Amino acid sequence: MLTELNRILGLAQKLGAEYADARYVSITQEPVSVSTDGAPQISVSKSTGLGLRVLVDGAWGFAATPYLDPRSLEKTADEAVKIAYASALCKKGDGVFLEPLEPKRARWQTPCKVDPFSVKPEEKVEFLTDVVESAKKVPGVFRATASIMSYREEKEFMSTDGRQIEQTIVHSGGSVSVMARGEGDVQSRSFADYAGGGFEFVESLDLKAKAEALADEAVKLLKAPVCPTGITDVVMGGSMVALQIHESCGHPIELDRVVGQEATFAGTSFLTPEKKGSFRYGSQSVNIVADATAPGGLGSFGYDDEGVEAQCVDIVREGIFTDYLTSRELAPLFDQESNGTMRAVGWENIPLVRMTNINLEPGDWTVDEIIKDTKEGIFVDTPKSWSLDDKRLNFHFGQEIAYEIKDGSLGRMLKNPAHTGMTPDFWNSCDAVAGKDEWRIWGTPGCAKGEPVQVIHVGHGATPARFRKVKVGVEA
Amino acid sequence: MIGKDDALKVLEKVLSFSKGFEASVTLTASDLSLTRYYDNHIHQNLRRHNQTLTVRLVRGKSTGIASTNLLDDGSLRWAVQAARENMEVSGEEKDFPGLPKPEPIQEVNCYVPATANLKPKDRAEACAVVIDAAKSRGLQASGTYSSGVTELAVASSTGVRAYNAGTEAFFRTIIQDGDNTGYADRLTRDVREIDAGAVAEEALTKATLFPEAIDLPPGRYDTIFEEYALADLIRFLGMIAFGADAKQQGRSFMAARLGEKVMGDNVTIWDDGLDPASLAVPFDLEGMPKQKVVFIENGVAKGFVYDSKTAKKDGVKSTGHASAMRGGRSVPRPSNMFLKVGDSTRDEMLRSTKRGLLVTRFHYTHCPEPMNVVATGTTRDGTFLIEDGRIVARVKNLRFTESMVEAFSRVEAIAKTARITRDWWSTFNSVLPCVKIRDFSFTGSTMF
Repeated sequence: MLTELNRILGLAQKLGAEYADARYVSITQEPVSVSTDGAPQISVSKSTGLGLRVLVDGAWGFAATPYLDPRSLEKTADEAVKIAYASALCKKGDGVFLEPLEPKRARWQTPCKVDPFSVKPEEKVEFLTDVVESAKKVPGVFRATASIMSYREEKEFMSTDGRQIEQTIVHSGGSVSVMARGEGDVQSRSFADYAGGGFEFVESLDLKAKAEALADEAVKLLKAPVCPTGITDVVMGGSMVALQIHESCGHPIELDRVVGQEATFAGTSFLTPEKKGSFRYGSQSVNIVADATAPGGLGSFGYDDEGVEAQCVDIVREGIFTDYLTSRELAPLFDQESNGTMRAVGWENIPLVRMTNINLEPGDWTVDEIIKDTKEGIFVDTPKSWSLDDKRLNFHFGQEIAYEIKDGSLGRMLKNPAHTGMTPDFWNSCDAVAGKDEWRIWGTPGCAKGEPVQVIHVGHGATPARFRKVKVGVEA
Repeated sequence: MIGKDDALKVLEKVLSFSKGFEASVTLTASDLSLTRYYDNHIHQNLRRHNQTLTVRLVRGKSTGIASTNLLDDGSLRWAVQAARENMEVSGEEKDFPGLPKPEPIQEVNCYVPATANLKPKDRAEACAVVIDAAKSRGLQASGTYSSGVTELAVASSTGVRAYNAGTEAFFRTIIQDGDNTGYADRLTRDVREIDAGAVAEEALTKATLFPEAIDLPPGRYDTIFEEYALADLIRFLGMIAFGADAKQQGRSFMAARLGEKVMGDNVTIWDDGLDPASLAVPFDLEGMPKQKVVFIENGVAKGFVYDSKTAKKDGVKSTGHASAMRGGRSVPRPSNMFLKVGDSTRDEMLRSTKRGLLVTRFHYTHCPEPMNVVATGTTRDGTFLIEDGRIVARVKNLRFTESMVEAFSRVEAIAKTARITRDWWSTFNSVLPCVKIRDFSFTGSTMF
């Protein structure tokens, strides 16, 4: 497709673009699911096309088409440039300045042992049937569903400042969800994880063993007491810590939110520019990086959609907020260089500042040590709901399951747990983070942002952690 | 835009490639233009065309699905072959109802040429109206102006042939005075109904009313919800409780309570995909005609929306509410919800409030306890304290956590006019009035 990309960049320049970049993207997805209430569902989808972004008179225009014939390329270039001229009617000052980049050609590919598309659908069905059977044998289970996601993105990027990047991104993952039904109540337990890699990741999840344990918990939850309302210490499992990072750290460090570009929909951020380098975001135990280079991360890649290299940058160091996720347009406004986080979903969307892998670095505890060290509190795991204000300060998270902690031991199971608080208070109350043996990068394939909304894949390195004096209870 | 003839021609071609099998083919296409602005200038501006053709092949009770966004013969043949391969290994689905047979579909005019032909310059000029209004007061404007055409075509080997093209324009703004913000939007099929000046004025009024925001402790307050806010509350009922799948799995609070009083006498909620007051589309993804479905009538639980699979299980007809496929399965969901209007006005609700709140809008709401439809979220873009029948202060944003079933049992007043409104998530386009709910539960507060 390099010929088409070259052609459309030339057309855009001829029509007046001072800068242009073009992306050809072809995405293949194959979701397979097996459920107790129906036959296996197998589908495959392909989406292919080209997006062109241009700067004209310091203002942006973007147009996208699934067709790559010469006439469609001409029409797309013409539309993008006309749109940019319209943007210029309402531009700020001299308009957009882009951080310069040196020309470069590169190719990057997700390391992958077993191509997930090389595993036949019938093998995936057999694999998932075993998982569902494992859950179904637990008495009281009403419904069980298991699924495998296989994703491949072929991408070619070219810009008028001489970047030419080819990437193949492969993602795989699996999930299992179990539902138990009682008198006027339904309780669910689930597990899901996704990674940059092949089918070897799905096999490593041990979904079959997890399914039985989850089924047992779902049934027991029906008779468990509701998590009481109050203030107590909370120990979180890794998947809950991952979502807490996503919502209360990952989103507020997006620099486009900070300057107000997402105000109408996703919101802004409490992490305003004067806080960079001095604001105490969390306790000394809290160290967070944005690492687009992390092996196996669902937010890993070689180059972003502006042609900038993937990077690992400090976000929070010993509790102090140190940096944002940036772009070629926004970084220079703060005397910085882009740290390579501009990504678009597919070919039909413009790139936005997006999370990569936002990772809480491991501490030096084990989860057993944390629980043993906790006199009174609850252990919560697996997110069920999430809600934050439009600056990401006030939050409310619900979980699928909790256990009481009394005098250093896990006690009764509790249903419908939730916790709420304010982001900096919460992270400053973190006094124990489990170590690298319990650390993993959780894949989050459903991060939504932008208008039209773009749902992108990101990752979060996380491990169990303890937070002191947290408000808990579903209606807290 | 593809157009009716070409769209149906593509579907016929796919059916001809699928000979020997039952098949259902769906084509969705979208021409979207969208302009975004912040800090009083345009920062994103785009146009895109895309389409998705999905073919479902059926043999007996086995089905296979594949989709592509390319409509050349090679891509269509690939989709049919891929669906066939998936069908071969999918096994039998014992509850599979078969592909639905055609039903008469009512014509609804959803297409307005003025909207389809809106140019980037037209959108930029409308944005400039709001930006200039904000600038003239030393304030910041941000927002979105989208316009375009969506097409849906369905054909099947059982004889279904359905096509609809609809235009849509959505213009919204937030005007910001420091941490104080005001919001306004307009959603319509006809772009000529959008008055950018009126949108600017509504948001400006909210942004500048009572500049010093006060802290208000969490607690129960009589609360007036503007239409934007109500859209988020009613969304949870639509998402969680009104689909027949939720009934059949026992996940809906109404599952075992049909015919029982579940909400206040003054609450009647229905879905009507044929009412032009909403963004009506007269059929669903299976090509089945939309039926009017009453969920709650005078507080009594009445019914659910169905697709063909859930309909067969309950021995009823599909109501035409097959929604987006999840992992190859459709789910029945409302499409165009309405809350019956009352006899009040927003001003009368204000005057009758001794001490309470006015909420403009919510942000990022969610449901931590689905069985009782317990929802949570924070207010944004204008929350005000009412005392002795008057707005007396701007309030820093609050978090609510409340069962929607209980909240809709305490509706004290409903406005006599309703307007089309989209929730924060853009899940539903609902036609809603302003309402007042007694003792609504706010459980937390924030700092702005």
